[in-house]
Amino acid sequence: MSEFVTRRSVLAGAGAGAALTTLPISMVTLAFGGEREDFTFTYISDAHIQQIKGASFVRNWDQGLKRAVAEANLVKPESDFVIFGGDLAQLGKREELDHGAEILSKLKGKLHAVMGEHDYYLDLGDYWSKLYGPHYYSFDHKGVHFIVLNSILTSEQWTFHRWPTAEQRMLEMAGLDNPNGSPFMVGDKQRKWLANDLAKLDKKTPIVVFSHSPLQKIYKGWNFWTDDAEDVQALLAPFDSVNVIYGHVHQIQYNQIGSISFNSVMATAWPWPYPQSYAQAESHLPVLTIPMNRADPFFERDATGWQLIDIGSGRVAARYQLWDNDQRTVAFDHKAGHPVDVAYQEPTQRRLPQTHY
Amino acid sequence: MLRSTLLLAFGLAAFAATTARADEFTKTDVERYQKEFEQVAAKGRELWTSGALGTNGVACAQCHPNAANTHPETYPKFQKQLGKVAQLFEMANWCIRNPLQGANLPPDDPRMTALVSYITFERRGVKLAPGQH
Amino acid sequence: MAVRKRAATTLAAMLSLSELCFAGAGLAEPLGLPPLTIPQDNPQTADKIALGNRLFHDLRFSSDGSVACATCHKDDHAFTDSPLRTSEGVGKKTGTRNAPTVINAAYFTSFFWDGRSPTLEDQSQHPFLNPVEMGLPTHEPILLIARSDPFYVELFKKAFGKTGDGVTMEEVKKAIAAYERTIISGESPFDRWRFGNEETAISEAAKRGFEVFVGQGRCVSCHVIEQNQALFTDNRFHNIGVGINRAQFDVPRLSAEFLNAKSKGVDVDKAVLTDPKTSELGRFAVTDQFDVIGAFKTPTLRNVAVTAPYMHDGSLKTLKDVVKHYNNGGRSEGDPAQVNDYLSGGIRPLNLSEQQMDDLVAFMETLTTPAYFGAKTR
Repeated sequence: MSEFVTRRSVLAGAGAGAALTTLPISMVTLAFGGEREDFTFTYISDAHIQQIKGASFVRNWDQGLKRAVAEANLVKPESDFVIFGGDLAQLGKREELDHGAEILSKLKGKLHAVMGEHDYYLDLGDYWSKLYGPHYYSFDHKGVHFIVLNSILTSEQWTFHRWPTAEQRMLEMAGLDNPNGSPFMVGDKQRKWLANDLAKLDKKTPIVVFSHSPLQKIYKGWNFWTDDAEDVQALLAPFDSVNVIYGHVHQIQYNQIGSISFNSVMATAWPWPYPQSYAQAESHLPVLTIPMNRADPFFERDATGWQLIDIGSGRVAARYQLWDNDQRTVAFDHKAGHPVDVAYQEPTQRRLPQTHY
Repeated sequence: MLRSTLLLAFGLAAFAATTARADEFTKTDVERYQKEFEQVAAKGRELWTSGALGTNGVACAQCHPNAANTHPETYPKFQKQLGKVAQLFEMANWCIRNPLQGANLPPDDPRMTALVSYITFERRGVKLAPGQH
Repeated sequence: MAVRKRAATTLAAMLSLSELCFAGAGLAEPLGLPPLTIPQDNPQTADKIALGNRLFHDLRFSSDGSVACATCHKDDHAFTDSPLRTSEGVGKKTGTRNAPTVINAAYFTSFFWDGRSPTLEDQSQHPFLNPVEMGLPTHEPILLIARSDPFYVELFKKAFGKTGDGVTMEEVKKAIAAYERTIISGESPFDRWRFGNEETAISEAAKRGFEVFVGQGRCVSCHVIEQNQALFTDNRFHNIGVGINRAQFDVPRLSAEFLNAKSKGVDVDKAVLTDPKTSELGRFAVTDQFDVIGAFKTPTLRNVAVTAPYMHDGSLKTLKDVVKHYNNGGRSEGDPAQVNDYLSGGIRPLNLSEQQMDDLVAFMETLTTPAYFGAKTR
């Protein structure tokens, strides 16, 4: 594999066969020019904290988030910051957001949060904002430009004029396979903001975009989809090195469209099947993606997890910390020009599919 | 025993031969039956997507949108969770008991029939593969 | 795909020829156990097994001549050192782990509580050198005896056709493993009931306990039972809250210190057996993976009624204590109020009644093979 993949194989628990760690972060010369510190950040997503009633919450989802937080805190050297990728709550309730935020508060390092539809459609992100601030924004870190988008918006008509109550609206959007739901979009206003935000950047600046839904079209029936994905891609396309990291799909996906690399992240709550496992679905799972093994419902944490994102040369390596499963690393391969699974990409390296029907 | 029953059935059929045959359904019959199935399957989807089967508000659809990854075509099969070759309803009950923290439904409970109707409807067109893992 | 097709064809052939009775016939293994796989490079022979038996019981392979394999795996204690909590090695030194039974170890896919050894052959060499077990500085003293004691000279010649320097640890390990592969046992009352269709082989309480075992208790999740046999282990590693609950707040420090030490070449075998806190990291010490912090291998439940105390650290005295631990969602008396964050997913409160818990214990008591009914473990 590329030197990029092996160079930082120094993180504790970061992958099968990885060398042991405690080495200091090293200075590296980067492909896009200049010198910059290599760094990692932690990505935790889709906790779906679900209130049963009062102070009682679904234990399974609680445990997933707690475990991710506890493990992320063990990483040495510490990662630079943490992204929470959206869907902290299941039904957008204040109690759920508060309970989730309390678990997340144990994390070391600064937290940046991304809006998920489960956080949004009860009060349109009002309470979430009190905890985590603006719905979309950007920041710079060690030479990389990071952009947080709210990609789960939809039409005014659907949002404001369709449902008798906010609770009803939330419930409709909470069902993944619900035909009454609506396709997600970034929307005109935010795209205009994005164009402005990008305008001041040099085209060589590495860009990492965080969105909840994929900024590419995979399967509309489950909103593995963003309706104005092509418009957003067009704004990002002129840059040499763009990485989009998204949650929502609760499974490993990766893709390359022009200069844009796509990586999904895992949920801490539960795994979702790949769309092709729905016999009636038309899905466009990127051909690059080597699907992850099926979840075994038996081990409640199987096919869930969190990730350590390694940023070197402005490109992403996602180290998936999977529970009760084989660890996987999906990293940008400079020769191939797209992300690859460092262990299983080659057809001869693939293990027999584990289906666990 | 089986043989005499068959003979008896033949005799009755012959007797009624002048009118419509006992096993002959009209187009409207078939359409009505199909609708009846669909109504039950729709009830199944309702249960599938609500938290009504358990005690913690978790719904089947949270892990299985469109009943995907349930693989009704592979049952009966060995289920490690149950320690034996089991039927689809037994696995559905495992999920009701565990992630949903609810209580078993009897196999012939109308709700179980509705669930199985919905699951198999979403999987229509897929070849039977009993026992497959 | 090809494999699947062949299986389907075979099944079809069996059904059409009415040869279903063939499926269960002709197996040498006791009732309730699957066919045993013997490694190709270490076939079973009578001479090798006899040699392994002798090596297993030889006290001379320890620094002070007081400890053999059989010291902690006693034949008449169902191959454990029950009721000791943790094993006693040379000079009465104690380690951090409870001696697991050798019975049916032949079916395991990894060895030691943290699975740090992949085969019986490999496993057999480590306790000789551990300072709290047999305490030898190297394997040389073993080979010295193996090459000079006339009894061993004869047996190594018979078993392997080797003498003098030809006898190495390879032969020693193979012989011990071959002997251990003969220690298998099924035919328990449970086996007769479940697989032998003997309706009265177990009590009504035990039958109710079985329903809890495969149902509300979720025990079968890890203690696997199949259609025609039951190993009562999934050969996997789980954090069930034992030990690690108490060490949970030290994990950040312990894991970092351990990885540091490991990168500097510390012997994992010694580290986990000599330091009680490091020991609680469990499987993490072997794989460095966060998802197995505090995780230990699922032990078989066969003969569990005669192998007290329980868990990797021998911290639970009775089967009822064990059931209570699981019923509490992975917490025992004296543990902190909160379970550790690294707990395995399936561990959660079970809401079992006293009656159900007693029934579960009654069920586990049916898993003893008649040969061990009188095991001197109490």
